This record gives sequence, structure tokens and C-alpha cells, in this order.
Amino acid sequence: MGSLFSSLTIAVSALQAEQGALNLTSNNVANVNTPGYARQRAVFREGIPVELPPLVFGTGVVFGQPQSVRDDILELRLHEETQQQGQFDAEVQQLQQAQTGFQGTNDVGTQLTNFFNSLNKLSADPSSLPLRQGFLTAAGNLASSFQTTARSLEIQRTNIDQSVVQSVSQINTLTQQIAGQNQQIAALENVHEDAGVLISQRTESIRQLSQLIDVRVVPNESSISLTTANGALLVASSQSFALSAQVSPSGVQHIFSQGNDITGKLSGGSLNGLITVRDQSIPGLLNQLDTLAAGLSTTLNGIHRAGFDLNGVAGGDLFTPPPVGVTGAASSISVAITDPSLIAASSDGSPGSNGNAAALYNVRGQAVANGQNPFDYYASVVFNVGNGVATAQTESQASGQILQQLTDQRNSISAVSLDEEGANLLRYQNAYQAAAKVITTINDLTQAAVNLGTY
Amino acid sequence: MRVNPNPIADILASIALDQQIQETALAQLASGRRVNLPSDDPAAAATLSLNHAQAAQDDQFLQVISGVSARLQVADSTIGSVVSSLDRAISLGIEGGGATLSNANRSAIVTELQGLQQQILGLANTSFQGSYLFAGTASTTAPFSANPASPSGVSYGGNTGTNTLSVGQSFSVTVNLPGSQLFSGTGGDVFQSLQDLTVAVQNNTGIDTAVLGLRKAFDVVTTQRVFYGNVLQQLDAQQTSINSEKLQLSKQENAVGGADPAAAASAAVSAATARTAALQAATSLLNTSLFNFLK
Repeated sequence: MGSLFSSLTIAVSALQAEQGALNLTSNNVANVNTPGYARQRAVFREGIPVELPPLVFGTGVVFGQPQSVRDDILELRLHEETQQQGQFDAEVQQLQQAQTGFQGTNDVGTQLTNFFNSLNKLSADPSSLPLRQGFLTAAGNLASSFQTTARSLEIQRTNIDQSVVQSVSQINTLTQQIAGQNQQIAALENVHEDAGVLISQRTESIRQLSQLIDVRVVPNESSISLTTANGALLVASSQSFALSAQVSPSGVQHIFSQGNDITGKLSGGSLNGLITVRDQSIPGLLNQLDTLAAGLSTTLNGIHRAGFDLNGVAGGDLFTPPPVGVTGAASSISVAITDPSLIAASSDGSPGSNGNAAALYNVRGQAVANGQNPFDYYASVVFNVGNGVATAQTESQASGQILQQLTDQRNSISAVSLDEEGANLLRYQNAYQAAAKVITTINDLTQAAVNLGTY
Repeated sequence: MRVNPNPIADILASIALDQQIQETALAQLASGRRVNLPSDDPAAAATLSLNHAQAAQDDQFLQVISGVSARLQVADSTIGSVVSSLDRAISLGIEGGGATLSNANRSAIVTELQGLQQQILGLANTSFQGSYLFAGTASTTAPFSANPASPSGVSYGGNTGTNTLSVGQSFSVTVNLPGSQLFSGTGGDVFQSLQDLTVAVQNNTGIDTAVLGLRKAFDVVTTQRVFYGNVLQQLDAQQTSINSEKLQLSKQENAVGGADPAAAASAAVSAATARTAALQAATSLLNTSLFNFLK
């Protein structure tokens, strides 16, 4: 049979439960701006009733384990899209930097034009020393525009290499952190405690890791493991496996996972974006510049040697001959002569002949690189540069939109709503006040019962 | 369904997008160009690279044409003077052949003929900006020199080389005539026939034959002179065609790379409006929460 004191116990259980719920609300409100935080929901359960047949008495309310509201599949999808975004953003950033060398008034294209124009000027008056000097200057400018463009790409490549090393160390810090979080989560779960907050933290850590590398989350019996998409182990439960960066024979940093080179096997994250630009985009551009510089200098040198200088002596090389195998031609090209009278403009040995200058000028329309004339070839290089950036930008935007949508979805499930918390606060406050009122009432009743005998 | 309670990221993204559109439009308006970086439009950037190269080349052709035309005009007027001198020499020859002429008169004619010879020699050694016009490609030294040992009294030290010059994408012209071709071409040698005439007048014999020879030399020079007129005409036509090509190129540049000011301006304005709206929405949204009403 019920008693005033059992009612008191029930009211106390209500006070405690509402207090717990208020705590939870307070915690949700506090974490409204915490990245990755998944809101927690108070769980109230009815106390196990006491049966005194034929009657059943309630025993109040039990404040259960709070629930973190999270869609694990959506979180995985977010990790994956974050990896795409990380890769494209890194590519866009680097390629934008790379394309600056291919525009403006000092690029190879402009200097090519100036070079051939000064050659045309020279053919109008081949024995003029000022015009010869002008031609040498234009040739020097052309060579230095090749050098500047190629060298700035090479410097960028070196900088990217340093970023690769930094990314690896960031990845290692994060995997270590995640292994630690795994351990804490397991410890809590072993004693059936709520690990929701820690899981939120771990999810956020994996999100950060996803910015950098293509992580796959593999749930195991009691915890999770992380691998790259290609299967290189990063975290197994409470143990992390560090990646290492080592200089490869090609001179750039390669990524190793437990002794295996995984550099070319990454498929997402900013690290892969960096590696793609470093190992594909920039070498591709350098190769095109090299092909043009080598083709141009070889063709021009051949013609220059066939002519005669101002003194009637057979010409030498106009540009330093390109290295064998083309690589490095753009960064090493320079004008081979400094004396303007050594320019072999003449085709018959007499100083006033412009035959060879005209032949040099005709290289303008000759196939020197990949069957294309220098201007067409350079235009195709400009196209490739621009197209690389534009493609990466489009991909980054598309991925950004998907990421935004997924984040919206995730927020609609897991983010803290202040309105909701405000409403809950009112509910719990009211319930708490009601329970307190019950206690006051029981107190009054108890007083009345105690005072019964005094009449 | 539960609504995303945290729309800040969306609002920020939309504000950033509007800002980007605004900046792009303003950059287009400021520069007048739609393609400022290769990535703005890769195909257009490639076309523009070729367009600029060709336009700069056209400017260069125009410069070269004006320089070469000046030189050709000097050469042409020099030959004009040679022709007048020869004309005078022929008149003198006819005069010298007159039966009533005294020895003193003939000797005056001889003196004038010798003067004309010197004059033509000087004209044949005309240089323009330091290079001799009638020396073939050996243009750094005077081509003709007086030489008593030579039958004509003059010897040619130039060569027979000619220069051609590109003055169009696939158009080039020959820009000089070697002195040997002008002054001692097939059918008439200027210096030889002048020398012959001088000797004939001096000796008062064979003057008619000598005048005939000088006429032939005169014909050769006037025939060769046509070359300069032709080239100058070609250069003139080429100049016109390059100018119209430049116009086409500049039209192409505008079509491919130019900004559409009206479109850019309206994009800038609508992006600004959208941005203001987004900012206002953000302020009202971010200030609204149930907590604002719980007192």
C-alpha cells in the first residue's frame, strides 16, 4: 500500500531526473558551437512498479543513459566527401599559384612575340648594331622568361614537398589522438557508461583526418579501425600506426606506411591533392615548357650555325644547347653569345645580307614542339594550365555543394537547436517545480498527520 | 522533419558566393576583360595568346613597312636623279654631235659629261642610315669606286645579293636591287656608255653610236627602276591589309576576352542586392531564438 513517504521518494526521483535533464540541456546549450558535437537527449524511464496484488504502485522516474543523436552512415559519407573536398581544394590552391606564370606581360608567350619581332626588325637592317643588340636583348628576355617560369614551378614543387611532410605529421598527430579516444571510449563502454561525447570528439577527429587523407572507418568488435582507401593501417582500436615521409630517389618525399610506399595509392584528402600537383600537374607543365624551350633552341641553333656573322664568320649556337632528354631545358636555357656582331644574320657572308635572319624568323611558323609552331604550342600550354585550374575549381565547387548538403543533413539530425533546448528547459523546469510542489504538499500532509493527536 | 538549427554555414557560403560574383563582375568592369587568368576561360585564354602574338606581329610589320618604304623611296628618288643625269648626258651627246660645234664647245661638253659621271658615281654610292643602297648585301662598304684601270673608269665592289623581308604572315618582298644589276645590267652599262660618250665627244668621232649606247643604258635603268615602284605599291597594299587584319584581331579580342559591361554591371548589382538580403536575413535569423523570449 502507498504511503506519504513513498510519494516523497517518487517526488525526489522526479527532482533528480529533472535535474539530470537540466544538466543535459545546459551541456547541449554550452556545446552549441562545438564542432562535431552531437546533441544529447534525456532518457526518462518509469521506475519499476511495486505490485501489491491487486494493486500496482509506481515508483517514480529513472533518469536513463542520455542518448547522443547521430546518424553513423551520414557521418561516414561526410568523411568521404570531406576527403574529396580536401583534395580538390589543395589542387585549386596550388594550380592557381602555378598559373600566375602563364599570364601577364612577361610570360613566355609575350617574350616569344618580342623575340620574333626583334628578328623581323633586324632583317630590315641586318648590319645595324643597335638592332643586333636589340635582338640579343629580346633573346635574353625570352630565355629568362623560360627560366623564371620553370624555376618558379620548381620552387613551388619544393614548397609542396614541405607541405607533404607537414601533412604527414598532422596525420600522425590525429591518428594518435584517435587511438587515445578509442581507448577511452572502450573503457567507458566496458563499464556501460555513456561514451557519446567522446564519440562526438572522435568523429570530429576523423573529420579532420579526412581533410588530409583518404580514411576508411572499419568498425570492429569493440572499437573502430582506420585505414586508407587502399588498406594501409592508420589506427587499430587503441593503437595508431604512424606514416613516415622519406625522400625517394626522384628527390621528392614519398609516404610510407609500415615500410610500404603508398604515395601513388592515395585517393583523397589534401595530401593527395598536394601529391597530384607535385607529381603530375607541375611536372606536366615543366615538361611542356622544356619541350618548347628545347625545340625552339635546337631549331634556331641549327639555322644560326648555317649563317654568317657580321665578320663573315660562320655562326655558332644562338642559345645554349638543351640538355639531352629535354628535361631541364626551360630552366637552363640562356643566350650563348654576348657580342652582337656574332649574330649570324647573313646567309652569304656579307654584312648586309639578312637571309639567315629571315630564316630564323621563319621558325615562327615552323613545327618546333610536338609538330606545332612555337606560338600554337604555347597557346596549348596556356589552355592546359587554365583548364587544370578550371577543372579543379569546378570539382571543388561541386564537392563543396555536396559537402554543404551533407553537413545540413547532419546538422538537422545532430546539431543543438537553441529553440529546442529553450523549450526543454521550460519543460524540465516546470516538472521540477511540480515535483517540488509535491514534496511541499507531502510535507504539509505529514505535518497534518503528525498533528492529528493534538486535537 | 527536424530543421537544421545551425544555418550559419549556409548563410556564410551564400554571402561568400555573392561576394565572389560581385568581385568577379567588378574586376571585369575595371579591366574591361572577361579573361584575366587562364582559368577564367582556358580556350579563350589560348585564343587570346595567339591573338596578342599576331597583333604584336602586325604592329611590327607596320613598323618594318614604314622603315623599308622610306629606304625604298630614297632609292627610287636616287635613281630618279640618275635618270635625269643620264637624260642630260644624252642631250649633251646629241649637242656634241653637231657639225658646227667648236673645239672649245666640245671641251665644255666633255667637262660637263665628266661632271655627270662623278655625280652618278656619287648617287650610286648613296647610303641610307649607314647602309649603301646599291651594294647588294655587301652594304657596309661603298659599292662603286673610280678606277682608271677599268674600261668604264669605275669598278663595282658590291655583290649581287638581295634581301627579302617578311612583311606579312606569309608575305615577303625583295627590298634591294644590286648596283651591278642597275648600273651595268644586260643591255646597257651606265658608266661604260658615259665613258664611251665622253671619249667620242673628245675625239669628235662615233658620237651617234655612243649616244645610242647611252640610250640603252638609260632604258635599262628606267626599266629597273620600276622595281621600286612595284615594291612600294605592294607595301602600301600590305599596310592596308595589315590594318584591316588588326581591326579583325581587335574585334576578336573583344569578342573572346572582352567583358560585357552591361552584363557585368547587372551581375555586380544583383550580387550586391543578394548579399545585402543575405546579410539582413542572417542578422534577423541569428538574433532569433526562444531564449530571446524567455524572460
